[in-house]
Amino acid sequence: MSAPVDYLPIIMQLLVALGFVALTMGITHLIGPKRKTTDVKLTAFESGIEVIGNARQPFSIKYFVVAILFVLFDVEVIFMYPWAVNFREFGLNGLIEMFIFMGTLLLGFIYVIKKKALEWD
Amino acid sequence: MSTLIVISILAIVVLYLGLFKAKQALLPISVLGLVAALALAIMEWNSNAAPIFSGMMHFDNFAVAFSSICIITTILVFLLSKNYFEKISDNVAEYYTLILFALSGIIVMVSYHNLSMLFVGLEIMSVSLYILAGIKRKDFASNEAALKYFLMGAFSTGFLLFGIALIYGASKSFDLAVIAQYVIDRPTGIDPIFYVGLVLMIVGLCFKVGAAPFHFWTPDVYEGAPTLITAFMSTVVKIAGFAAFLRLFSICFAPLQDFWMPTLLVITILTLFVGNITALYQTNFKRMLAFSSISHAGYMLFAIVALGAASTNAIFIYAAAYAVSSITAFAVLMLVKAKTGSENFEDFNGLAKSNPFLAFALTVAMLSFAGIPLTAGFIGKFFVFNAALAQYHTWLVAIAVVNAIIGVFYYFKVIVAMYFKDNQTKQIATPAYFNFVLGVSLIITLVLGIYPSFITNLF
Repeated sequence: MSAPVDYLPIIMQLLVALGFVALTMGITHLIGPKRKTTDVKLTAFESGIEVIGNARQPFSIKYFVVAILFVLFDVEVIFMYPWAVNFREFGLNGLIEMFIFMGTLLLGFIYVIKKKALEWD
Repeated sequence: MSTLIVISILAIVVLYLGLFKAKQALLPISVLGLVAALALAIMEWNSNAAPIFSGMMHFDNFAVAFSSICIITTILVFLLSKNYFEKISDNVAEYYTLILFALSGIIVMVSYHNLSMLFVGLEIMSVSLYILAGIKRKDFASNEAALKYFLMGAFSTGFLLFGIALIYGASKSFDLAVIAQYVIDRPTGIDPIFYVGLVLMIVGLCFKVGAAPFHFWTPDVYEGAPTLITAFMSTVVKIAGFAAFLRLFSICFAPLQDFWMPTLLVITILTLFVGNITALYQTNFKRMLAFSSISHAGYMLFAIVALGAASTNAIFIYAAAYAVSSITAFAVLMLVKAKTGSENFEDFNGLAKSNPFLAFALTVAMLSFAGIPLTAGFIGKFFVFNAALAQYHTWLVAIAVVNAIIGVFYYFKVIVAMYFKDNQTKQIATPAYFNFVLGVSLIITLVLGIYPSFITNLF
C-alpha cells in the first residue's frame, strides 16, 4: 500500500531536473562572454564556398526503405543474444522456437528481395 | 488456439501467393483458410480450456463466440472484395494479408488473459489498419484518413499503456486473474494509482471503439478510407474493441462498478446524442454510417455500464445484428458508388424501381439499424436495454429510446429516397458475390429477428 506522499521523491527529482536545466542555462547566459555576431558567421561552413540553397530538402524515399529494413533486421539480432546466453536452459524447445522466429524473418527477407525493395534504381 | 495460428500462417501464404503471381487464387484460399479457422474456433466451444502460453491467453467460450463472429464478418468482407482492390492498386495480395494480420490481432484481443497481450493484439490490429486506411496512395482523403487514424491511434495507445502500467504498479501483475484477486481482496483501501490506471484504460479503450468525446477521428477516417476497409473497421474492429472492453471489465473491474459506472454513464449518454444528432445533418451516406456507428457504440456501451451476467450475451447479439446490417449497407453503397460516382442520399433515388432486391436488402438493414421489430437490430436493442433495466437504469433507457427514435428519422431518409423519389437510373449490375453476401446478411437479420433463441442462450 502506497500513499500519495510516497511519490513525493519523484516530484522532487522532477523539480531538481528542471531546476538544473534552468539554472545552468541562466548562469551561462549571465556570466558567459558576449559576442557580436554577423549573418556571415551564422551561416554553415562549406569549405569557404558560398552556401547554395537550403539543407532541408526532400530526399529519396528509397533511402528510407533501406534504412528501415536495416533497423528491422538489426533489432532482430538483439533477440539472438539472450537466447544464445540461455541456449542450454531452453533446450530443444528453445531451439525450435528460435527456428520459427528466424524462419518468419527469412520469409520476410525473401519477400523484400522479391519485391525489389533493395534495388536502388 | 489453432485459430490464431491458422490465420497467421494464412496471411503469410496469401502474401507469397501474390509474390508468385497467383492472383486468381488469393480470394478462394483466403476464404477457405478463414472457414478452416472458424471451424477450429467452434470446435473449442465448451472445451473448458485453461489459460495457455503461460497464462497469456484463454480461449474460453467468450473468446470462441467473438472470434467466430469476427471471422464470419471478415469472410463476408472478403467476398465483397472481388475485383475491388484490383481497381485501387497492383499490390492486391498485400491487402488481403493486412486484413488477415489485423484479424489475427483481433483474435488475440478477444482471447487475452494478460494485459500485455491486450496491448500486443491491439497494436497488431491497429498498425495493419493504419496502412489499410491509406491504401489509395494517390487519394488525398485516404492519406488524410491514414494520418489522422495513426496520430489518434498512437495517442490513445499511450493512454492505454499508461493505464496498464499504473494498474501493474498497484497490483504487481499483468495477469487478469491476479488483478481480479487484488480487487476482491481489498474491499477498501485499493491503491489510488489503480483508480487512475482504470480511468486511463477507459479513455484508451473508448478511443478505440469511437465513443464520444473520443470519437473525432471516426467520421474522417471512415469517409476517407476505401469503402471496403470502412466496412471492416466499422464492424470487425468495433466488435473486437467491445469484446476486449467487456472482457477486461467483467473479469477484473466488476467489483469496482460504483467507481467507474458514472464515468461510463456520461460517456454513453454523450455518445448516443453526439452520434445520433450529428448523423441527422449528414447528406453523405458513408458519413452518416460513420456517425451511426458512433451511436451504435453508445448502445453497446450500455451493456458495459450495466455490467452483469447478461452483458456478454447482450453485446454478442447486438454486435452480430450490427455487423450483418453494416455489411449490407456498405455493400449497397459500393455498388451505388461504382454506378454514380458519389455517395450522397440522392444517389439512392429510384433504386427500388431499378434494383428491387438491393433496395429491399438495404431497407431491412436500415430497419435493423433503427431497431424495428422482426429484425435482428430489435433483438439486439431489446437485450441491451433489458440488461440496463435489470439494474434499474430506467431513465438511461428512456434516453436511449429517444435516441432510437432520432435514429429512425435518418435511417428512413435513405428508404424514402429509394422508394418514393424518382430518378432515371439504369439497372445496377450486381455481381454474384454481392448477391450472395446480401442474401446471407438478409437471412441472418430476419432469422435473428424472428427466431432469436439461436444465439440468445449461448452464455
